[in-house]
Amino acid sequence: MKTLLAALAAAVLAAEPTVTGTWNMGLQGDHVIPTALVLKQDGRTVTGTIAMPTQNGQRIEVKLSGEFVDGAITLSGEVENAKVPSTLEMKGTLKDDGTLEGTLKSHHGTMGWTAERLKTRK
Amino acid sequence: MLRSAGVAVALPFLEALAPAEGKRVRLVCIEMVHGSAGSSAIGIKKNLWAPAGAGRDFDLSPTSLASLEPFRDDLTIVSNTDCANAEPFEAGEIGGDHFRSSAVFLTQAHPKRTAGADVEAGSSVDQLVAARLGRQTPIPSMQLCIENVDQAGGCGFGYSCVYTDTISWASPTRPLPMVRDPRVVFDMIFGVLRPDITAADRRRRLADDRSILDGVLASAARLRARVGVADRRRLDEYFETVRDVEGRLQRVEAYSRSGEARELPAAPAGVPDSFSAHVELMFDLMHLAFVTDVTRVFSFKLGRDNSNRVYPESGFGGAFHPTSHHSGKEAKILDFAKLNRFHVGVVPYFLEKLKSTPDADATMLDNTLVMYGSAMGDSNQHNHKRVPFFMAGHAGGRIPGGVHLKAANGTPLANVMLSVLHAFGLDDVQEFGDSEAPFTL
Repeated sequence: MKTLLAALAAAVLAAEPTVTGTWNMGLQGDHVIPTALVLKQDGRTVTGTIAMPTQNGQRIEVKLSGEFVDGAITLSGEVENAKVPSTLEMKGTLKDDGTLEGTLKSHHGTMGWTAERLKTRK
Repeated sequence: MLRSAGVAVALPFLEALAPAEGKRVRLVCIEMVHGSAGSSAIGIKKNLWAPAGAGRDFDLSPTSLASLEPFRDDLTIVSNTDCANAEPFEAGEIGGDHFRSSAVFLTQAHPKRTAGADVEAGSSVDQLVAARLGRQTPIPSMQLCIENVDQAGGCGFGYSCVYTDTISWASPTRPLPMVRDPRVVFDMIFGVLRPDITAADRRRRLADDRSILDGVLASAARLRARVGVADRRRLDEYFETVRDVEGRLQRVEAYSRSGEARELPAAPAGVPDSFSAHVELMFDLMHLAFVTDVTRVFSFKLGRDNSNRVYPESGFGGAFHPTSHHSGKEAKILDFAKLNRFHVGVVPYFLEKLKSTPDADATMLDNTLVMYGSAMGDSNQHNHKRVPFFMAGHAGGRIPGGVHLKAANGTPLANVMLSVLHAFGLDDVQEFGDSEAPFTL
């Protein structure tokens, strides 16, 4: 019986949605800026990186940490090596179609974003 | 071929000189970058690219293809296809859509992310066709462009500029350079770039501002006296066209060297400031190349990703790149549609030339396939879904035309390309890029 319960619990846990993976994120500025969001989930804890676009066309990789609970994700990270060091705060939800949608707050203001998992090569 | 010192002028088909031969099928692949307004959510609803109706009963009037109405029976519009191989597959590739897209259009292959010399994509449709048709012509294929494409090194996101600069790939590792200067194209077609003709010969002719025909007048007159009425008319029309194209080219070069302000100061002297004038010169040269059978395959790149060129002739004054980033707002999408309409609007000039040129027992348009499109869909999203694409002509009767084909969601554009290869006799090609099956045209 214990074995059966453990198997059931494992199956339930396995079916839980996870945000682990590489996401093609679209930051909604004047136009949609494709941005790499890489996440790893361990229980409720989420860590990862976001390749933040800069004014001069370069990207700065920002380390993120936060949690994913009941379909909602919250992440934050410090932008280092930038002209203006600042904090990123991200919120989002995992939608039924498997995409993420949320907002990102930085010293530039708040932007909307959506993200879909990277496709695999056929 | 009429020859004299420093020039070699190819001749059009003449009944007196050659027995009637079978159909000469030809291919022209045109790319305009940054997708279309009609690939956005609002653009789809408003039919800014694809018509509402599928099948033979389609209305082009709201679309960016409206200028093609006189050629509706020659059109094959294929909508709702994707170029998935232009999407990123690794984190480092995200954001590099502008630097991958052109390399995908005719190859339907996923370009390797590298800023070095080890570039890799796939063999392009035009080159696969050229490998078959090109054996019958002096030049297997020619690659032309309108924008500056000579940037070196990496262009962004770790991608070599080569991926942005060309749409033609002779093999997965051999991108082909594209020619922007109509003078170079002219000289290639008329043989003055032959190895036995020296640079001094060429400089002398250009400095004298003489026509390439001046040197062959005597032999042309002798030939004219030998042929029948129909051939004489063909020769007269042909020489008139050559003179006209050459004259326009000489006027552009004279202006460029006059010291007057140029809109494109860094461009070669043969490049007109006007986008339309440049494109029309290139189309005239393609037509001459077809008439003389110098080549049967062209690729033609009308734009370059991230270009901020303004097109005053379109009636809209916004720069191309920011206009294509329309924020999903209707007014801006309609502005971008004006540019799409303008770009497509240069094509009928070429189609009319092809249609009015007799070719075997049909017209040159019947025996040619002109394809036009982009590997990007909604440029505001930088996605590669619902990409703009149409074809004109019939490839020697293999493509019926007069139809709008709306593909099922998720259909690869590569399926269409595979069918194009089959239409050109490459029936042994089983797959192309990410194709799943041939697309019935």
